[in-house]
Amino acid sequence: MKKKMSIALGIMLMAVCLFVSCSKKDKQELVLYTWEGMFPQEVLDDFAKETGIKIIYSTFDTNETMLEKLSQADGGTYDLIIGDDYIVDAAIRKGLVQKLDKSRIPSFKNINPLFQSFYFDTKNEYTVPHGAGIPVIVYDPSRVDWEITGIKDLWDERLRDSVALTANYRVIEGITLMSMGRSLNENDLEVLKEVGKKLIELAPNVRLIDDSTSHLALLNGEASVAFLYTSQATAALNENPNLKVVFPAEGLGVGVMDFFIPVKAPHSDAAHKFIEYILKPDVSAQCFNFLGYYCTTKAADSLVDPILVPPSFFNGEIMQNISLEADEQQNKNWVEFKAACN
Amino acid sequence: MGRHMIAGDLNDDGTVPKRRKTSPYIAALIPLYLVMILLVIGPLVYTVMLSFATNVGNGGFSWKLTVENYRRMIDPVYRVTFLKSIQLAFLSTLLISLIGYPFGYWMSRLSKKWKKIMILLVVIPFGVNSLIRYYGIIILLQSKGVLNWLLLKLHLIEEPIKFLYNYSTVLAGMVYGLLPFMILSVYSSAEKIDWTLVEASRDLGATKTEAFFSIIFPLTIPGLFSGVILSFVPSMGLFFVSEILGGNKIVLVGSLIQDQMTRGGNWPFAAAIAVLLTIVTSVLLIASARISQLQGETRKGNNLI
Repeated sequence: MKKKMSIALGIMLMAVCLFVSCSKKDKQELVLYTWEGMFPQEVLDDFAKETGIKIIYSTFDTNETMLEKLSQADGGTYDLIIGDDYIVDAAIRKGLVQKLDKSRIPSFKNINPLFQSFYFDTKNEYTVPHGAGIPVIVYDPSRVDWEITGIKDLWDERLRDSVALTANYRVIEGITLMSMGRSLNENDLEVLKEVGKKLIELAPNVRLIDDSTSHLALLNGEASVAFLYTSQATAALNENPNLKVVFPAEGLGVGVMDFFIPVKAPHSDAAHKFIEYILKPDVSAQCFNFLGYYCTTKAADSLVDPILVPPSFFNGEIMQNISLEADEQQNKNWVEFKAACN
Repeated sequence: MGRHMIAGDLNDDGTVPKRRKTSPYIAALIPLYLVMILLVIGPLVYTVMLSFATNVGNGGFSWKLTVENYRRMIDPVYRVTFLKSIQLAFLSTLLISLIGYPFGYWMSRLSKKWKKIMILLVVIPFGVNSLIRYYGIIILLQSKGVLNWLLLKLHLIEEPIKFLYNYSTVLAGMVYGLLPFMILSVYSSAEKIDWTLVEASRDLGATKTEAFFSIIFPLTIPGLFSGVILSFVPSMGLFFVSEILGGNKIVLVGSLIQDQMTRGGNWPFAAAIAVLLTIVTSVLLIASARISQLQGETRKGNNLI
């Protein structure tokens, strides 16, 4: 079934190619494969106008679908892909990603080094970051008359029944681990049991635990402090600019999206050109303002919406899979924590 | 199919053959059976099978059979969750009965016109998705919400009351959401009461209270009972009430299952909890059915005397 589909798709593609090559002989193209709505249309149009390269924007819903399609295509078909950190890791390990030719990307130096050298690409050979998600503490200074600086402060007695949390147990237990000076990918069961105890101590301060409405709780006065995802933090700040964002002193959990070029990309030249184009400060700023994620192009920091500028220094860590036992322990901690909150 | 084509045939003696007589009915039932098998029995069997599978993390599982998922539930955390859920279900069912029974009974005593209006009013909320209604409650109850605004304006309170995100709000939410089922089922059984019986009892010297408890109440027990089932069973699993009104702080079996299915990514464990929940509710239902049956029998006995 899939084969038939891909043959049909191939024929359609060929037809398109023929049509295009009829109109102009050596017209190049770029098959960009990512989620829907990753770029403002103007950026794509401007790139096409400037370089004469036609962009074929192909979309996927989930990282997993992308990896499967890429594996089926044996690292071909697509020229440029954007995916989340963990799936980029999987793609690199499967040998589906080619090394970047940095001589063709002079703007590579524009990248914010805070979002580079992560575990999946320690030498920055394969990837270019494009937007980062950093869950942060946001609080309302009109209801908290002291300065919150880190994760530890969430345990402060003055915050009784006024903290809103996201509902992802890995995220909340991750910051608890970080506040204990541990990695958020801790596998040691004894340490994780400690985390469970520490969470129970947090319980009296918790007002609500929710993934979709935590930022609203901060806005409508139900909570005075919230631990929020990037998109929620931006939404809350847009609504109430007086809110304060805290990049916790203990460190941060970070999620990054990265560009990478598949190993058999048919138009790897065009892909390099596109990366170079996006890394230009003004284009980057345009992209991140549209996307609403933290700006990963350092050179664009002065141009982008101030709430999307990442802190100048942080001790960031990316969430990775943990062992099954560790995961079960965290799950158990979470149920105990929620029960203790009531 | 073949049978249908000769359905018009008669026996030698001119009678319609017995076997064929029933066949059209069976044919009409086939879609129903298919629905039952595909949508009720199928998923149930699959869930039971899944509860014995091995978790490999992130929503994946392998068909290596294990009882690990059930063994995990012995842990006090999960036991407590079950007990708390049952407790909440009992409490909400009790409140629903206490409010819904008099309401349903009162509705049955209204004039025809008012009955229609009341039924309409009770049923109207069903026209709006319950999620939306619960989010609506947030708007009413939040710190900067309508109710607090009103109380502040009336100078009844100094600062906003924190109505949301606690046990009693979840309980109230359960009662709010499930009350119509109780009202309607009590109403429908109270409506059928033969009032000549009540009149007879009054003629024989029974007081109003006596007449109520010896005639009306026993006759409406079936309605009350179905109302209890309709409110008890869902309140074990309405996880979104706890999520929206309880700020996720009241862990119910339903929210436990949902958590394991989604963020926890442990489907076999979720299935095992679901199976246990099904068993627990079935046992409770069978037990209460038995009790009401016994009551019915003693009533019959009383009638004979």
